[in-house]
Amino acid sequence: MKSLILKDLYNIGHNAKSMLFMLLVFAVIFIPVSGTESYIITSGVLCSMMVITTFSFDNTSKWIKYAMITPITKKDLVISKFIVLFIFSAIGAVSGMIIGTIGSLITHKAAITNIESILTLLFVTLVSLVTADIFGSVSIPLLFKFGAERARILSLISFLIPIGICYIIYQLLLYSGVSITDNFIFILICCSPLIAIVWNYVMYKISYGIFSRKELLE
Amino acid sequence: MEAILQVDKLTKQYPGFKLDHVSFSVPKGTIMGLIGENGAGKSTTIHAILDLINKDDGVVTFWGQELSSNPQNIKEDIGVVFDGINFYETLTPAKIENISMKAYKQWDKQIFSSYLKRFQLPSDKEVKTFSRGMKMKLSIAVALSHKPKLLILDEATSGLDPVMRDDILDVFLDFVQDENHAILMSSHITKDLEKIADYITFIHKGKVLFSKPKDELLYHYGIIRCGEAVFHQIDKSAILSYRKRDYQWDVLVADKENARHLYQNTVIDDASIDDIILLYVKGEQVK
Repeated sequence: MKSLILKDLYNIGHNAKSMLFMLLVFAVIFIPVSGTESYIITSGVLCSMMVITTFSFDNTSKWIKYAMITPITKKDLVISKFIVLFIFSAIGAVSGMIIGTIGSLITHKAAITNIESILTLLFVTLVSLVTADIFGSVSIPLLFKFGAERARILSLISFLIPIGICYIIYQLLLYSGVSITDNFIFILICCSPLIAIVWNYVMYKISYGIFSRKELLE
Repeated sequence: MEAILQVDKLTKQYPGFKLDHVSFSVPKGTIMGLIGENGAGKSTTIHAILDLINKDDGVVTFWGQELSSNPQNIKEDIGVVFDGINFYETLTPAKIENISMKAYKQWDKQIFSSYLKRFQLPSDKEVKTFSRGMKMKLSIAVALSHKPKLLILDEATSGLDPVMRDDILDVFLDFVQDENHAILMSSHITKDLEKIADYITFIHKGKVLFSKPKDELLYHYGIIRCGEAVFHQIDKSAILSYRKRDYQWDVLVADKENARHLYQNTVIDDASIDDIILLYVKGEQVK
């Protein structure tokens, strides 16, 4: 497992400078227009998409076939991709928080003057992490099923599925007369790590099901 | 001799291709060459042996155990080299070592370092700066550094120049000096196998045509070069394969000394492994 995570971190580490550059470009675009919060979430989602790049590197080097001749199990390989996704999402969310805070201070978009504003920032970082992780985890079964190139096109689905599910739940709540209050949203955000864990588990099961049946000729 | 790897009736069906009841064994202390034309089933056999594809039928055992029975421990003792390096090209040998040593319990840093030195591979240069030969040497160094007892090589010397191949073949010969070690090596460069293999398994259209000691092939097999009249005199049960070329028949037989005794005025050449493959693949069998 450590071997797989290290391999992905080494591979992606090579792209770290270009990713940092992209985050800075997005900071210039997003912070003045949409605010710090949306930038932090965008940063998390953007970094989570690096998991697609790891599959692309694996595909180029025919790594997955090679990994399966080492003592690494199929289960380890699938779990490692979810751990790597979490690491990328966390890096994105934290980088977003740091760059976003600096950016908002420079552009006077937000003032971090009290505990409440710091808590809000941390809360948005948590939302960024969970959102990025949930969106990214949908792409993993697609990547195992279709490979990096085709899944890159299909990765739009990984954004549409969670949004679609949230929209359906929202409509169902409205239909059943539940009002969406600030308190309700607060509880939802507090529960979001739990939702992300359950969601990741389901995506892991699907991914493992796909990968365990896959023949590794290439 | 005790077999490290035993392949018994291995079968895998694809649309348009069938690996058909492939059987052979790799005894301890030996090198088994797996030969055959492109598409004959060599790589499919290796993939099925390593459980990279699901076999339809047959049994493969390593040291008497199926891979699925104890995969992690068995894989510690198997080193595999495919046709190329399986690490992304921005990695360096040092990083590859860090990755590999976390995958293998038996990883030995000293062995890896000694192979890097022997192959003159810089540990801090990215793989993308390496030549094909250097990449293959690095793959071999990785495969040998977790102290495997069985080495499986799938076209590992293809595309290398003769000097580079010779260096690598020497490493393989060193490896089998330990009589508990063995190598299964698929290659279509039969000269390499003539140099180092102890046994040859020939796969043609998904079937094993023979699995024999190399010396038996080289010392006993022969090709009768004859005209039509002699060809019709030859005992058909002795003909393994034949090919008509203009006015000459090339006839592959398993006992060239006997043929030399029977057909004294006929040219009977030694058969190289290339000749044997060509006659089996392009020639005809007596019905």
